[in-house]
Amino acid sequence: MYEWDFSPVLAEGGFLLVGFRNTLILTGTALSGGLVVGLLLAFARLSEKRWLNVPAGVVIEVFRTTPPLVQLFWFYFGLPIVLNVEMTPFLAASLTFMIQSGAFFAEIFRAGIVSIERGQWEAAHAIGMTYNQCMRRIVLPQAVKRMFPSMMERSIELMKTTTLVATVSYADLLFQANELAQKTFRPLEVFTVVALIYFVSISFISFIASRMERRFAKSGEFTP
Amino acid sequence: MNYIWNFEDVFNNWYALAIGAAGTVRLFVVCLVLGMGLGLIIALGKRSRNRPIRWLSTAFVEFFRNTPVLVQILWFYYALPIIVPIEIDPFLAAILGISLNSAAYSAEIFRGGIQSIEPGQWEAARAIGMNSVQTLYRVILPQAIRRIVPALTNRGVEIFKMTTLASVVAYVELLQQGKLIASLSFNPLEVYTVIAAIFLIILYPIVRLTYALERHLARSD
Repeated sequence: MYEWDFSPVLAEGGFLLVGFRNTLILTGTALSGGLVVGLLLAFARLSEKRWLNVPAGVVIEVFRTTPPLVQLFWFYFGLPIVLNVEMTPFLAASLTFMIQSGAFFAEIFRAGIVSIERGQWEAAHAIGMTYNQCMRRIVLPQAVKRMFPSMMERSIELMKTTTLVATVSYADLLFQANELAQKTFRPLEVFTVVALIYFVSISFISFIASRMERRFAKSGEFTP
Repeated sequence: MNYIWNFEDVFNNWYALAIGAAGTVRLFVVCLVLGMGLGLIIALGKRSRNRPIRWLSTAFVEFFRNTPVLVQILWFYYALPIIVPIEIDPFLAAILGISLNSAAYSAEIFRGGIQSIEPGQWEAARAIGMNSVQTLYRVILPQAIRRIVPALTNRGVEIFKMTTLASVVAYVELLQQGKLIASLSFNPLEVYTVIAAIFLIILYPIVRLTYALERHLARSD
């Protein structure tokens, strides 16, 4: 019977903490970039100009239908060859996950914007608002509330996807775990602890998200 | 920016890619069948009247949905062999990680589908003398599955993409073979472009089909 011993893992807790911090930094960077990319892609796709909506559609579909790990390898190992630039794991990962989550966010934004009734647009036009004003003042504020649950779900997916950077040696939580498992010869304890860290932090985020959803629902501005 | 693309070495190694593709498909099929099958069982477990079963199913779903699948694969590969006296090869570790993860996600899809069927259907089936197992198989599931086909197809696409994670434990699939070719011919740009294209060519038609199916169901409901 195997005897569990967590003390070597706990003694190196700071090592894992560094990894967890890096995971949060990468998630934060990719998330804020991804939301911007997603909004731009959604506007481009909704545009009536073909030179805007066709490329946006291609980017969205390509990044949604190819595996994120292949994308990461392409950005890390492939892109520097074309652009002749130095690529760090962090830069490659932020770029990949920004565009990848941006493609998913774009579809969420688009669905949210499309779900707002035509009458709202017409009413805004009637009182003299331009397209941009109507989008910013009338449509987006309502759409964002409807999109909130799927946006949170995507953000959580993104945090889980960041574990892929461990494969290109960025010191995220999973990478640090791998190192620590080799150093302490305690893979069982290390990977169990790391799984628990992810479980607790992700459960916490989804708990907060569902609380906020309920708040929106109560305020009456949230129509599913 | 004046890089000259050269796909020759990739195509000369088509045989290695073909072996990889076979590995990808093999892993995909096993994980699809296990993931969906187990997902249905767990969805039924979450509806069970027996409290421990309900509690266990919920815990399973929450745990596997709230941890990254790569952590799960590595856990099964490095950690599990320490407590159970079985040999875990990369194929088995990948199957365990991806199937259990997909089971948790598809369980939620099945549950949503079953819940979406009006309670009147259960009552009507009981009124004509069916027991709950019969009702489930003859009345509820056929209708529920029709509604959740698009969601299940999406899950299938996700599983197909997830198979690339098996390369992390050196299971021979497309990406793993790509890494091999790239390290031998020094052409990562071309190799990873081709691999991305292969996934796109296989999955894009399926994704289009899901969109069409969604529209069709929305109209017929």
